[in-house]
Order: sequence, then C-alpha cells, then structure tokens
Amino acid sequence: MKHGAIWVRPFYYLVVFAVATISLYPILLMILSSFKKSVDIYKNPLGLPTSFSLDTYRTLLSKIPFTTYFMNSIFVSVISVILIVVVCSLASFYIARFNFSWNHALFFIFLLGMMIPIKLGIVPLFILMRDLGLINSLWSLILMNTATGIPLSMLILTGFFKTMPYELEEAARIDGAGNLRVLWHVVLPLMRPALGTVVIINFIAAWNDFFFPLIFITEKMKRTIPVGMMSLFGEHSADWGSLFAGLTLASLPMILLFFIASKQFMEGLTAGAIK
Amino acid sequence: MREPTASTLKRKSWARWTIHLFPIPALILYGMFVLYPILAALSYSFFEWKGMARGDFIGFRNFVTLFTTEPYGSMFWNAFKHNVLYFVLQMVVMNGLAFFLAFIIYQKIKGAEFFKAAFFLPRLLSVIVVGFLWKLILNPNFGTLNVILEKLGLETLQKAWLGDPGTALIAIILVNCWFGLGFGVLIFLAGFQGIPSELIEAAKLDGAKGFTLLRTIYLPLMVPSIMIMGILTFIQSFEAFELVYAMQGSMGEPYYSTDTLAVFFYRLAFGSSTASGTTAIGLGSALATVLFLFILVCTTVFLRFANKKDVQM
Amino acid sequence: MKQKSKWLLPFLLLFVVALVGCTSEEKTTVSTTPDKEEKTGEVSLTIGSWRTEDVAKYEKVIALFNEQHPDIHISFNPTKNTEYNTVLNTALQAGEGPDIFHLRPYAAGLKLAEAGYVEKINGLNGLNAFPEAALTASRDEQGNQYGVPINLSSTQFFYNKKIFKDNNLEVPTTWDDFIALNDQLLEKGITPIAMGTKEGWLLSLLHGIVGPAIYEGNDFYQAVLAGEKDFTDARFIESIQVMKDLKKYYPANSEGLGMDDIRTLFALEDAAMFPLGSWEIPVVLEMNPDLDLGYFPIPSKEGNKSVTTWVDGSFAINANSKNKEAAKLFLEFLTTKEFGELFVKEFSMISAMPGITSDDALLNDISNATANEATPYMWVTNFTGGDPTTKSLLESELQGMYLGQVTPEEVAAKVQENAKTWFTPFQK
Repeated sequence: MKHGAIWVRPFYYLVVFAVATISLYPILLMILSSFKKSVDIYKNPLGLPTSFSLDTYRTLLSKIPFTTYFMNSIFVSVISVILIVVVCSLASFYIARFNFSWNHALFFIFLLGMMIPIKLGIVPLFILMRDLGLINSLWSLILMNTATGIPLSMLILTGFFKTMPYELEEAARIDGAGNLRVLWHVVLPLMRPALGTVVIINFIAAWNDFFFPLIFITEKMKRTIPVGMMSLFGEHSADWGSLFAGLTLASLPMILLFFIASKQFMEGLTAGAIK
Repeated sequence: MREPTASTLKRKSWARWTIHLFPIPALILYGMFVLYPILAALSYSFFEWKGMARGDFIGFRNFVTLFTTEPYGSMFWNAFKHNVLYFVLQMVVMNGLAFFLAFIIYQKIKGAEFFKAAFFLPRLLSVIVVGFLWKLILNPNFGTLNVILEKLGLETLQKAWLGDPGTALIAIILVNCWFGLGFGVLIFLAGFQGIPSELIEAAKLDGAKGFTLLRTIYLPLMVPSIMIMGILTFIQSFEAFELVYAMQGSMGEPYYSTDTLAVFFYRLAFGSSTASGTTAIGLGSALATVLFLFILVCTTVFLRFANKKDVQM
Repeated sequence: MKQKSKWLLPFLLLFVVALVGCTSEEKTTVSTTPDKEEKTGEVSLTIGSWRTEDVAKYEKVIALFNEQHPDIHISFNPTKNTEYNTVLNTALQAGEGPDIFHLRPYAAGLKLAEAGYVEKINGLNGLNAFPEAALTASRDEQGNQYGVPINLSSTQFFYNKKIFKDNNLEVPTTWDDFIALNDQLLEKGITPIAMGTKEGWLLSLLHGIVGPAIYEGNDFYQAVLAGEKDFTDARFIESIQVMKDLKKYYPANSEGLGMDDIRTLFALEDAAMFPLGSWEIPVVLEMNPDLDLGYFPIPSKEGNKSVTTWVDGSFAINANSKNKEAAKLFLEFLTTKEFGELFVKEFSMISAMPGITSDDALLNDISNATANEATPYMWVTNFTGGDPTTKSLLESELQGMYLGQVTPEEVAAKVQENAKTWFTPFQK
C-alpha cells in the first residue's frame, strides 16, 4: 500500500463520513421536523426549526398513554429476548457440538421458518391464540416474537458454535462436567459476541413488530409502542409536526437504549468473533 | 472442521440421554407458532375459496390458475423480476459497500466506534418510520433530495422519485440498503477481525500489498461471512414486503413497478389495502407455497455448494 | 448436582414469571366477561372501525347513548384504515372480533355477510328513517339488511374562492367553461387542479367526479346496470381520455404526489381547485383555517350538474357477538335524529339520514346537492367485485395511462374485460 499511502487514509475518511452522513441524516430530519410547524416542513424542508418548543410533545403525551405503551414494549421485548437466548443456546449447542445423525435435518427444519412469510399463517395463529386464551395478552406477542426469532438466532448461534475450538470444552468434560455445565460455564462465556448479535437483532425485531400486536391486541392499554404510534397516522394526517414528534417518541427509546448498551452490543457484534 | 475422531468418540460417551432435552423447548415453540400455522395455511392452496369460506379440495388448480390466468401470470413474473433486481442490487450496493466500510474500519481508523454506531442506527428504526421518512425525503415538491439538487444547480436531475416507474423500485431498494447497511458492516467486520493476524503478517512479508493482499488473503478468508450475508440477503430480497408496502402500498404503485412476490401475496391473501379489497386466499396460499419452494431449493443448492467448497456456515 | 441446581434456578424463575403473567392476564379478562356483568345488568360492547381520527368524536356519541342506556359500556377500538380489513377478517374467521363493526360499503362489506359473519338486522326499529339508496349499501341480493348506514360521502371540486375572485373567475356552468377556467389559471401561472397520480384510489375517485360529466351521468349508469351499454362505449372511452387531458392542469411532478401532498398544495393556496371528498373539509380547514373554501358540482357539456355520492360506511353486528341485544340497542340509537344531529355537528360529515341540517353552510350546500344532483360513485357502489376488483384494476390502468404505458382505449378494454368476468348484466 506504499504508493497509495498519502491519499488512502483521507479517502477512507471521506467515504466513512459521507456514508455516516447519509445514515444519520433522515434520523436528524425526523427529530428536527418534530419541532417544526407543518407549513415549515413543506415550505422550507432544509431549514432549522425556528423555535424549540416542546409543546407538540406535551400534547402528544397527554393524548396517548405513552408510559403504558413503553412498559408493554419493554416487557414484551425483554422476555422475548431472554426466551430466545435460552432456548436457542440449548438447541444450537445440541446441533453444533454433537453429531447425531438427525442434526442436519433438525437444523434445516429450524431454518425453514425464515423462508415463508409468517403472515400467511395468521388465521391458524389467531385460532391457536384464542384457544390458549392469549388474545389481548402480551404473552401472545412474546410467544410470537420468540418463535419467529428462532430461525435466524439458530443460524447465527450454530454458526458460531461450530467455529469454537473443542479443546476447552474437552478439558471441562475431563473434569467431569455435565452438558449444562459445559454450556453455561465454558461455551456461553466464549459465545458472548454471538449472543450479543442475537440479543440486539431480536430486541429490535420485537420492539418494532407491529403486525402481531395489530392482530392480537385490541385493548388500548395493552398496545405496544409501534401500534400506539400507528394510530397517530390516522389522527394527524394533516399535522406533520405532531406526526414527527410521534415517530421520534417511538424511535427514541430504542436509540437511547442502543447508545447506553452500544459498547456491549458493538463488542458483542464484532470483538473477534471467530478466534 | 476441527474434529479429532478420538475426542468425538469421547464426547459421545459423555453425552447422556439428557442432552436430547436441549432442543425440545425451541422445537415446541417453533413447531407450535411457526411450523404448524404455516403448514396449515399452505394446505389452503389445495382448496377452492369463495371469499373467506373454504370450499372443496381442488388439487393443484390454484397453482394452474396462478400461472396461466391473466392478470396473475404476468403479475407473478413482473414481481419475480423485481425480486431478482432487489437481490442483485442489495448484494452489489449494500453488501459491497458494507464490505468496503468494514475493511476501512478494520484498518483502525479514528472514531471507528462512532462510525459503526452511525451505520447501524437506521436498523433500529421501525419500517413504518423508515418508510415515512424516506417518502418525505423523496417527495418531488417538498422533499429534501430535490431541494438539495436544486441548490446544487442540478434541477435537471429532479424527479418524482417514487412516482416514476423508472426510479421507484431502485429508490425502494436503495432505502433498504440504507436500512441494512450497518448489519452487513458488523458481520463483515467480525469476519475481518476473526482472521488470524499471523496470516496477514506472513503475506505482507511475502510482499503482498494493496489489492493483491485483499484478493489473496482477505477475500478467501472472508468467504464464511460473505456466505452468511449472501443467504440472508437472498431470503430477505425474496421476501421483501414491508418497505414496499409502507411506501408504495399493496398495489406496488406506480403501475406495479414496485410489486414484489410478497406484496403480491399480501394483496391476494388479505385484499388490497383500500376499502374495496377482496381476498383470494387459495391463490395467495399457492403463491406463498411457490415462493417458499423457490427459496428452499435455492438455499439448499447454495448450502450444498458451500459445503462442497468446505465452507462452514 | 450442584451445577444442575444453578441452571434450574433461572428456569424456575422464568416459569414462575410466565405463570404469574398468565394468571394476571386471566384475571383481567375475567373481569370483563359478560357472565359477571349480567348479574349487575351491565354489558360491555366493543366497536371496530377504520376511523382512527374519530376516537374523541365517538366518545361523545357513546356518552349520548349512555344517557339512555347507562348500563351498556362501549369502547371504540379503531384500527388504521389500511390494516382494518386484515385485522377484522382475521378475527372474524376465527369466530371472534368486535361486537359491532364498521362495515365497508357495498360488495366489500357484503362479502363478510355472505361468509356468515354479520348478523341480519331486518326490521330493526328506525331503519325506515333512511332512504332506499342508503340502505342498499349493506343489503344483499335476497333483501337482507346487515348495516345501519351512517354517512354519505360526496366527491366534487373544491375551490379557493379567493383565487377565483382575485382572477375574476366564475364557477363553471358547462364542461367547456370548466376547461376554459383551467386554461386561464394556467396562463396566470396558478396550478389549476391539486391532483396527484401516485396513489391509485385518487384516480378512480377523480374519474368518479369527471366521468359523469362526460357520459352524462345517470343515464349511462342506468344503461350499464341494465346491460345495455358497457365500457366499450365511445363516451366512456372519452371519459378516460379526458382524465388524461386533465394532466396538464395538475401540479409539477404529479406522478409522485399522493393524498397528503395535494391536500397541502390546496390548503396552502398553491392550487386553485381540489377534486376530493366531503370528508376533507375539516382536514383542509385544520391546516389552514383562513382558507376561503367553496365547492361546485361538475358541469357536463350540456350543463347538467352532478356531485358523486355513495354510502361510506354502515355499522353492523358481529354474528358471533355474545351481546347482540345490547348491540341492537346501539344500532337503533344510530337511527335516531339525536344521533344524526350530533353526527353532523361533531364529525362535519353528511348524515345518511335525510333532513339533518348543519350549522356549516358549505356542508349544508353539499348535503343538499347529494339529495338533488347526485350520481352514484359507480366504482364503489357497483364495481367492487371481481378479482382483482374492477375498481382497483381501473386504478392501476389509469396510473399506467398517466405514465404513458397504456392508451385510454386499452384502459377501457381492460376494465370491460375484468367486469365481464363477474358483472352479470355484462354476461347477457
């Protein structure tokens, strides 16, 4: 790289800056627009808001039970992610670290779920949920998020499990450790990066899902954030300032959470995954 | 695969029957809430449907109708072409750019953490929010893209991006790339960071640099992450629905120019989103079955091919 | 053993959490089941609807209802317009769903009735308050009534009175006047018609307004119903051609403009006319309260005037509801004059009940026009059958025409071909 040494670095920075600008601009636009009046959004889309009043947010929050939606979303997302991590760690450990003859088939069956739009099965699902008494229960969402999160999580976890060296595991087994103990004390700690990926991908999916809450939840107080915010589209189709405030409110918890946990996530997603 | 046979034997002897309990919870959840409803719904494709009431078993007639009766036949192939373009563009633009960005970050530039977070941030937004924001940005009269073009003196490039059949689909796909870029960067970065540094050092000592280094060392070692992203992009491209639906509605407007198979499926199974929608559940299920089999066959072939090349997923 | 107990703990915890969650859910649902309430004579009803914008207004309706029936609790749970069909159909197919729901007008709603999901309300007290035309929106071919009609919608041209006045323009009285008016506006550099072709439903809507002016409204409509004329008729093709010709009066980039965009253009006084439905009045005025808003019925070549109307929604009872008697009481209430008056006042829409007047002069004018100069919006009232529906096919093909991919003749031919597959008068 010698001959290019002078321009290569600046070029790299130029690229990452340009892409980062494109990545962040729409989000910035959303936040800025939430402080604008509708008319300004049309007439002067590039301009900065003329004043930073929080009034739109105040009226919005007085209209919708945001805290309730927020708690519902947190409850659903957290429990879903915990369930996914537990059941998928167990299952992918089984598939990746043992050589039973049916493991390939089993893995394949788990992957099938990624290949069909689950929306197809909404009527059988609705009947199932009704029979389980889970219509209008947040547990219907948790079960759906968990089940639909399994295929991708299995793919990621099994892939990473396979790349891990066996030596450590064997050492533990020679010490007489059982399967659960090997998984819990030896394998999982090494799997932190892959688990991080699974956690964030599923958390985002659970947080943003709006199809199942739309179908399974009709009670207002059981709604999650995306559905709660969707009703704003109908109520404020002419008042884009409020609409943007609503969208910002819907996205902000996830963005804040991301920044708080960013270090973990990023380490989880990248830190020398394949050793 | 690092699997000394001796230790495999030992592991087997360690494995007591309890190990077979491990996949059970996942199987139960997945079986009940994914496999069962989907299989039940796939069976709908073999029945006649009158509105929402199920009629007689009619074998493959829905499949025949889907491919031989207009407008379904041409809608299918039209949508299929769009899915292919979806896949190709995402592979080239999104994964290509993600690969390059990951490579840059891997070179230990300053602010790497910030950039990683910035690229990933769009992925946190709900598709509803993404669709709404980009609809506004691409709006021909109030949208910032056209305003920026005007400020740059490029008025001739201004367009009704989402209303022009020549640009609408590409615009949607690029928005999808914007959305998924950060995930690709992280997967590729994990791949780069997994490459043992000794290999790189050795190659450098041999005099490899720049493009040669990339081609002979990085690319071959990156094949696993490229495979993962390839398969995920493939599946996601052929199931592309939410963004099209949020930005162009259930008709794949304008004039079916952004229609995809999954949008077509939705239109058949649930009716178009306008008040006058009717449903064709049998045809919708038949389409979903075809789509499923197509993805299944392609993925299987792909995985076989990958396994032969001795690549582990 | 030790390691096992360590593992069991989080599992047990999770299990307990799950159990607690389930039981607490059950408790809350138990408290709303009818069994318990019947003891105290109280009933709870739910209403499903696509009118998310009307939550506060329906609360007032429910409050008025509760003055007479304090023991019937009603909650109004609307779903976003575009997802309403999916949500309602899924629930109905599983034998669930709200007790009362907003029924889509004409064929779309009757499809639910055909599948047996809607309770017949033949002979419901008060139904005779409505004219035949309003009731047919939710009546099947055998004459069974399923819904109580709520509101009429009408489409017409709205115009900016100030722009007209400033440019010495008059409301047109013939089609040629209308075209001349557009040309004059164009010359003065004012966008004549706020219209966009990005969303298909706006296209069938506009055809519903201008079409009758070209094929002389009701005569052609009646002839179509009788199977005497069809969509290969020269006048019909001309009505499609006219849609194409109007494009030069649309704003720049009209192919990329949707509902929100054209409303904004008109409300911010950047365009002189706005061909849309009566339901837009409050929305436009909310955006710009100073707008001097007027309307005119579209004049035909021969000077006949028409506004295009249809019943936009009816309320129906779920055949699987456990509280049908209470639901019937609510539907009966919807047929009363008290409701009609409250509806017109609060919703700023045209009541399906004749003779209800409003304080709003514009709305009153339109309301009178729907009684005297009405032509049915045939795409909604008669052509929502077929698969894809004739209406949505027309929308797509018109969009294709605006993009230069199909000719008006081809549009008409395709519409005819589709309609012929299911519209019985064409099959003779």
